[in-house]
Parts: sequence; C-alpha cells; structure tokens
Amino acid sequence: MKRILKYGKATSQIIMLALTLTLVVACGSSVASEGETTADSPARPVELVIWHDKEEAIASVLESYLDTLQPEIIVTMERKHGLTETLKLVGNDPRVAPDFYFFAHDKLGVYAEMGILAPITDFVSEEDLEAFLPMTIYAATYRGNVYQLPIYFETLLFMYNRALMSDDEVPTTTEELYAFMRSGAGGRFGFIEQHSTAYFSAGWIHGFGGVIITEDGIPMLNAPETLAALEYRLKFVERMPGETEYATVNALFREGRAASLIGGPWLVPSIRASGVDLGLALMPTVSETGFSLSPFSGVQGLHVLRVAAENPEKNPAIREVLQMLLNTDIGVAMAIASGCAPALTAAYELDVIRNDEMVMKMRETAETAIPMPNIPEMDIMWTVLGNLLVDVNMRSRDIQEAADDAQRRAEDLIRIMRGE
Amino acid sequence: MIRRKIGTLNAWLLVIPALILIGVVVVFPIGYTGYISLTNMNIFNWFTFRIIGFRNYINALFLFDSGFLQSLGVTVLWTALNMTFQLVIAFVMATLLNIEKLRLRKLYKTLLMFPWAMPGYVSILLWRTGMFNTQFGLLNQWLYRLGMEPVRWLAGDVSAFLSSMFVNLWLALPFMIMIMDGALQSLDKSYFESAILDGAGWLTRSVKLTVPAIKPIIGPAVIITLFTTFKQFDVIFLMTKQPGAQTGANIHTVLTYAYENAFITHNYGFSSAVSMLIFLMLISLALLVNIRLRRVAD
Repeated sequence: MKRILKYGKATSQIIMLALTLTLVVACGSSVASEGETTADSPARPVELVIWHDKEEAIASVLESYLDTLQPEIIVTMERKHGLTETLKLVGNDPRVAPDFYFFAHDKLGVYAEMGILAPITDFVSEEDLEAFLPMTIYAATYRGNVYQLPIYFETLLFMYNRALMSDDEVPTTTEELYAFMRSGAGGRFGFIEQHSTAYFSAGWIHGFGGVIITEDGIPMLNAPETLAALEYRLKFVERMPGETEYATVNALFREGRAASLIGGPWLVPSIRASGVDLGLALMPTVSETGFSLSPFSGVQGLHVLRVAAENPEKNPAIREVLQMLLNTDIGVAMAIASGCAPALTAAYELDVIRNDEMVMKMRETAETAIPMPNIPEMDIMWTVLGNLLVDVNMRSRDIQEAADDAQRRAEDLIRIMRGE
Repeated sequence: MIRRKIGTLNAWLLVIPALILIGVVVVFPIGYTGYISLTNMNIFNWFTFRIIGFRNYINALFLFDSGFLQSLGVTVLWTALNMTFQLVIAFVMATLLNIEKLRLRKLYKTLLMFPWAMPGYVSILLWRTGMFNTQFGLLNQWLYRLGMEPVRWLAGDVSAFLSSMFVNLWLALPFMIMIMDGALQSLDKSYFESAILDGAGWLTRSVKLTVPAIKPIIGPAVIITLFTTFKQFDVIFLMTKQPGAQTGANIHTVLTYAYENAFITHNYGFSSAVSMLIFLMLISLALLVNIRLRRVAD
C-alpha cells in the first residue's frame, strides 16, 4: 500500500511538473514559430489574409475571383466572429493581424484614429478612384484620406406586397403613405419599419434636412430639424406594432400581415422565398419638406492594414489585389450572387445590372442616400439616438425634453471618448 | 527537517500549475484593467497612451449619478428576488426529487437540467421571441384564443423586470437544484426518522433539520450564484435593450448602465476605471457576505 502511495505521489509530481512546463513553454512556442515564418525566402508565394463577416455567397465570389492571382499570390478569406473588436486588439500585430479586412465603411474612422489602417491611395491612383460612384468614395474618406476600396453598397428600399398594395397605390409622398395606413389595408398593417432604431430613423431626419451628427462630431439631436422629424413620424409609429425588431418586421411582411415596409436588400431573398409578390419603389417624399426620405447607405469594401502595407514582401501583392478589384467583374459577380449594388459606375452600363430591378432601385436611392458617418463619435450616436427614439416612440416622453437629455448625454459621452 | 522541507516543496510543486492558471486567467486581467484605468488609453492614442493618475476615477465618479443609483437599486432588488426565488424553488424541487420510491427520477432530473445545457444567449432570445413577442409569442397566442387583448410583456418596466426574472430563474434553477439535490442526498436519514417518530411534520423537519444541515454544503454555490446574479448583464440586456430591438422598458442593472455610459465610448482608460469601481463594490459585497456567514457559523 505504502509502495503504491509512493509511486502515485511520484507520478502526480511528474504530471504537475509537466503541466507547469507546458504552461510556461506554450507561451513562447508560437513566437518562435512566427519568427521562423518571417524568415521565409521571397521566392515562395505571398500569402494574404482577408478577414470578413460576410455570408458565404459574397465571400466565395471574392475568393474565387482572387484565386486567379495564384500561384504568385494566395489570398485566403477568413470569416471572423467579432471582427471589429478583434481588430482593435490585434490590428497592430504583424504576427496575428490580417492583411485586409472586408467590412462596411462606418468603422474606418475608429481604425484610422487608432493608426492601424493604410490609405488606399498608397496602392491605387486618384484617377482610379474616379471610376467609383462619388457617394462610395465619400463614404471611404476620413480626414482627407481614402481608407477603403469600395466594392458594393447597400441602402434601404421601399418594399411592398403587390397582393396588398397595388402598383397604383404605391405612395410617392409620406402623406399618401399615411392615408394608406389609415385606410386599414384590409385589417393589416399598412406600413411597418424598425421605427425605434437609429439606422431606420436616419432617413426621416435627413428627410427634414437634419443630420444625426455633423462631420466635426457635433451631435444634432435637439436641432429643430430632428425635433420636427421625430414629431411628424409619431403618427406613423402609432399605426405600427409596438415591437418592431428585425425578426418581427420581417415575419409580419412575409406572412402578409403588413402591406409595405422599409427594409434592406438582405430581406429580399427570404421574402421572395415565402411567395410574396414583391414590389420595389423609391422612397416617398416628405410632404412637409419636399425632400425624399434619405436612408443611410453602407459601403462594403476592402481595407488595408498598416502592418501589411509596411511589409516589403506583401506590399506589391496588396497593390496587385487592389488593382484587380478595380475591374467591374467582381462587383457584377457579387450583384448576381447576392443582389448588392456595385460601387463602380461602369457596372451600371451592363445589361446584366440594368435588368436587375433591385440593384437599379438601390442605385437610384443612392442619389439621395447618405453614407453612414464614419467618424468614431457615431458609435456613441447609435446608442444615444436609439434610446431617444425609444423614449419618444415607446415611452411617450416629451420630445423636446427627451431630445435635450439625449443631446447632453451624447455630448458628455463624446467628451469621454476624446479623453477631454 | 529535510523531509519537512521536501514535503513543503512537493506541496508547492503540486499547486504551482493551478496558481499559474489562476494568475493568468484571474489575477492578470484584473491587474491589467487596474493599470489601464490609470492611463489615457482611447482610440485617439491607442498605442501611445500614458499614465495619467486617477483622472479616470474622478470622471467615473461623475457617472455615478441618479441614473446609476437607480440602476444600483434595481440590481439589488434583482439579486434579492432572484436569490430568494431560486433558493425556495430549488429546495422544493430537490425535496420532491428525493421522495422515496419516486418513479422516473432520472428522467425528471435530466429534464430539469435541460435549460443548463442550452447556450444562455439562445435561451434568452427564444424566450423573447417565442414566448413574450407581442405579435407571435405563445403567451399572447393563448390570450388571443381566450378572447383577450395582447399584452406587451417587455414594454413596461415592471412587466419586463418580472419577465426577465422568470427567464433568469429558468436559466439558473438547474444549477441550484443540482446542488440542493446533492446536499439532500448526503444527509443522514436517521435524524429524519427520529424526527418523524417525534411527530415533526414536513415543514418542521425542513426548517429545523434539513436547512441547517445543508447550509454549509450549499453555501459556496449560493455565494457564487449571488455574485453571478448581481453582475448579470445578458438577460436584461438581451430581453429589453438589445440594439435594434429595444422594447420600451427602461430597466438597468449596474452593468447595462455602465455599458451604455462608458463602454461605448472606446475610452478604455475610463471604462477600466468604471470596471474597477464596480469590482470594488463586488469585493465589498463579498466581504460583507463572508463576515455575515462567519457570524452565523459562530
């Protein structure tokens, strides 16, 4: 017995020692192997990594398109959960950071301020950028530098169920829309949208000539235009369901319990699959101001990490990848695969794009759509404006009082963000 | 003497891996947060931040306004109600599971563990959309069948609080039932047989025998659950405050309040200072609970 105990004790000591050594050594091994990798000979193919959060249809189109650069350049698409937060942590680490990331333009101000992005103009000329829709380049620009190579953009659309709203009934003004909602729409909701979220409400504020935040980062939540938009929209909100989160809005429309909605192109496949005879229209004009509802647009594209741009082996390969994406083919392929609107102007001269109703409607809406602000301060506004909308639309708070509170809160938080 | 030294060395060797693990997983993050809280780390000087002393703490104290105090009150109420219901329900359930000659005992135990096996995020969203949704939720479908008007369960502060508490109980009860069940099974049956012979009923046996006997066994689990409940974020946030899906209720716990008023600013120095202050609050609570438990034990 004693012997067994003695051996057992010795064995456990060895195991514990091994565990301790493993814990200590494990931290160092990856560094050593990374060191070996960086010492690779330049004759080997250059491997580039793109982080993204896109659906498979989009990612596979881009990956197959870039496969033509092989064998000299191998580009790998890596789907990254929590991409935006992970980039903050590792964006400056050449061992872990990707070479590109593929994402919407609205976060580029944060990363540009952090110093982890390289301007796209280090790789493509100013003339090359003239081939893009001006709205997309405006979206990709932060403090005078272009940080994104736009590939496609999305914007909200006015969608209607032809079985419940005929083409003749499609409203051209907000008052026509309200009259349709009041008519009862056959016992269904005449119109629905995610009324208490900042993204969906921006179109109404823009329709009154307002903005959520200026380019200098000044919140405009209690500006007269914002107040007018909030007040005018209340009568529409009262005729929508109380809960209007994504799943509810989508389900109500798909099940024929709502005649029309404002939604993104990402809803279209599931709506069509449910058998709804879907019609698409331009945004109605705000009867009070004569401006159309001008939703936010999101421009999706490739951003180059500074650590990759500074790598002499990778730099020429990055240039080749970006030059290749100046071709209209990739935007067209993505439009066919996923119904997104290409960022290159020339794509809209092709029949395959001209015959796509949804893409062309987005192109038309893009004339009035406003790119989401890409300044870091906007990250605060999503939450603060969201809370203001809940206060006004769902808690019936006095608009002026709620807006003043929200403005103060936004200013305080922006001061904290800037470390003032 | 040498043998004792070797024994001490052996003991250290055995605990070193665990100490390293605790150091890496628990102590280092807290220490690093403390360090960051003394710097001006934000997105505008992400890689060039420097130590600025206690300025972030001074700013963080301004966050502790009436809104924060209200959220602290809600958190205390949330913790007290959840703990009370958890302990009472878990005790009753565990007692029922320990009835002699109970059939299908293992099946009941497996079913009761089911909420624990599901990821919390999925469970919360299932409850939110499947049960409480005004348009499609099961509760309102039942009300509709009974000819009643639909209820916006998550719109009012009180109803949203109670709905969130119900979901939290659903998520947390399996753990507490398991602990109570284990504690009840470890009790010496002879005491209970004597009590029955003395004429003690179920309530008397529970209050005078069972509860005092299982107290030291369930104590650590209760303390763990107490802190988990106090620093709860996911249930209330996902039920009522998820961006793009807010319900209209305005209930905040300390953490949801801190998230909306600090963490969205990308000012990591400031956010770390807020985190450290909340951490100190939790440590104080832990000390108070420990002192109280020690007094009860004495």
